[in-house]
Amino acid sequence: MLNILVCVKQIPDIDLVRMDPETGNLVREGVPTLTNPLDLNALEAAVRVKERYGGHITLITMGPPMAESTLRECLAVGGDEAVLISGRPFGGADTLSTSYSIVKAAEMLGNFDLIFCGKESMDGATGQMASQLAERFNASQISCCSKIEEISGGKIRALRTLEKGTELVEADLPCLLTVEKDNFFGRLPNLEAYLASKKAEIRVLTENTIDGLEMEKIGVPGSGTIVPEIYAPKLPEPGQIIKTGSVKTDVGRLMSLLVEKGSV
Amino acid sequence: MASYNRITAEVAAQLRAAVGEGRFFLNEEVDPNYSHDEMPIYGKYMPDAAVDVESTEEVSAIMKICAANRIPVTCRGAGTGLVGGCVPLAGGLVLCTKRMNRILEYDMDNLVVRLQPGVLLKDLAADAQKHGLMYPPDPGEKTATVGGNISTNAGGMRAVKYGVTRDYVLALTVVLADGRIVELGKSVCKTSSGYSLLHLMIGSEGTLGIITEMTLKLIPSPQYDVSCLVPFRTVEACIKAVPKIKLAKLDPQSIEFMDADIVTSSAAFTGNPIFPERVKNEDVGASILVTFTGYDEEELDQKMIRLGEIAKEADALDVLVVSTAATKKSAWAARSGFLTAIEAETKLIDEMDVVVPVDRIPVFLIYIRMLGEENGIRIRNFGHAGDGNLHIYCCSNDLEEDDFKRRVKIIMDKAYTKCAELEGQVSGEHSIGHAKMQYLRESVGEDVFELMRQIKSVFDPDCILNPGKVCDLSLSGRPA
Repeated sequence: MLNILVCVKQIPDIDLVRMDPETGNLVREGVPTLTNPLDLNALEAAVRVKERYGGHITLITMGPPMAESTLRECLAVGGDEAVLISGRPFGGADTLSTSYSIVKAAEMLGNFDLIFCGKESMDGATGQMASQLAERFNASQISCCSKIEEISGGKIRALRTLEKGTELVEADLPCLLTVEKDNFFGRLPNLEAYLASKKAEIRVLTENTIDGLEMEKIGVPGSGTIVPEIYAPKLPEPGQIIKTGSVKTDVGRLMSLLVEKGSV
Repeated sequence: MASYNRITAEVAAQLRAAVGEGRFFLNEEVDPNYSHDEMPIYGKYMPDAAVDVESTEEVSAIMKICAANRIPVTCRGAGTGLVGGCVPLAGGLVLCTKRMNRILEYDMDNLVVRLQPGVLLKDLAADAQKHGLMYPPDPGEKTATVGGNISTNAGGMRAVKYGVTRDYVLALTVVLADGRIVELGKSVCKTSSGYSLLHLMIGSEGTLGIITEMTLKLIPSPQYDVSCLVPFRTVEACIKAVPKIKLAKLDPQSIEFMDADIVTSSAAFTGNPIFPERVKNEDVGASILVTFTGYDEEELDQKMIRLGEIAKEADALDVLVVSTAATKKSAWAARSGFLTAIEAETKLIDEMDVVVPVDRIPVFLIYIRMLGEENGIRIRNFGHAGDGNLHIYCCSNDLEEDDFKRRVKIIMDKAYTKCAELEGQVSGEHSIGHAKMQYLRESVGEDVFELMRQIKSVFDPDCILNPGKVCDLSLSGRPA
């Protein structure tokens, strides 16, 4: 039976997040959260492996207590247990300190044969977590996986989608995979699993309960990057379409606009 | 047979003067899209002129000019209809309400909104939501105008729980054929005050008057909603479950039906396979999507548990839950895109929108499939299982248009006869337009059809409002 870890993240609905033009801060108040869509594709890949070979899926995330809802959503579609890393000292972490915290927590949960991650998160979009985790887990890595061909004898064979073709690769376990979203469209939970997920126990690990955690390596102190400023790019003035149904009127309006703007 | 006058230079000048600059279009200035709606198989008819109106007063002025000069007037919203309702069969003037797109006022004490007819359904829904309110009618075409919805008494997916457009119209401002402005209805919850001309106007497809302002009822927006997709092996098993769900006091907001073919088409077109084609290693023959809304999450869980029990008894393959924002968005995008998916894969298309008693849906669908096979026409269908309203599309990519029309006529003639046998109605929500007039006449019988014609002549004695539609035979002899 394969021991599988799936890393997931709760993000704000990026379509609804706005930036405060004065402070440069993201305005998240009242913005609904969702599970990073690419993580759900990773979870689907993991669930298919479990269905084919048997296995146990542990879900892990780091975030505030409300990130629990993301774990419940993932439990409903195939996760077996869920772990939330939560605590104020983890706040402000970049990918370096996040990957450290996740691996230290995962070490307490057992040895994993396979680790699945979304390609990137839709909010931060660094795409760094998968490679950092593979390195810290001392695992091989298969990115852009479009199909898992075979898992046997301590090895995994999978297809990777490249810019101009497909590549068949083989890697030793443990192995970390990121997947192509189109090949792993997430499934809907069935009713029983959905209802069970609402009552499932979520294990919470804090800075005080993760074994061997070095405090200087988590949160802001453990981060290798500094973000001095965030600003919204200035967008060009949106274009307008003049289409009244009459070419004569359209041209007239266009000319008035051009004159108004001093272009002619 | 009615005779009309052409728009002379003098009349054109009067019409141009009745509206602001740039809103009157003559001959080749007219947008060619005004010659058809979204079902071009019923023919294209260009108007002589078009006008974009902005106020009740402008509409009144235009109608006075057209009445005095016997110019036919066809009112048009977003042109998303499917029965040729807004197509100017007799030429003349197209009066477009798209620019009358302002939401004028919310009355939060009485939960009503006053708006102009050109407001799009999606814009009203989004704006009402900002006020914590919901406009319950929910037709699939969200870019239709609300005025158009009222003119066709559009239904939509939520009709099972909330009813149809008619149930939410409290009052209308209407311009009559001779330009008089009348107010129909009031912002009250009940009335027993003479003939309801308000309800006569609703669903009259611009043949009795031009709607220029509406007062609609809203409800507090439900806090929670969840949908369950229930897949079955066969269409028959699927539909048999519907009355059981309705009898179980679950009060679903909608029960939508989709067969395997439409799910496959939609997934291929949208790249969104949210509705599974196989469940538990078995092929899905048909599914229903049941949506619950409410103000208490626990109550919705209990309803889903009961639905699960009914589904099991009805031999469903599973019950799948659509509960997250992402899956809801995917599911409703796929459901709303069914017609677009059919249109995208089809060169020639015709449709019917019958409504039958819910328990007779399988009989009708099996019959339609047989007719499709007999006549070499591909059938696609989906619909509102909860209220018996079925959208059935006849499709072909191979046939010549004349041959397609000939075969579809055979199917339609038989299908509407079958619909009558099953005690159904010609149209659930798309209306009659000019495409379904013959079938309406056969369905209601000569006495009722004649009453409809007499009502039309009271409102519009010269037959200048949307000629050739619903029950108007004034264009007999013209191609339709």
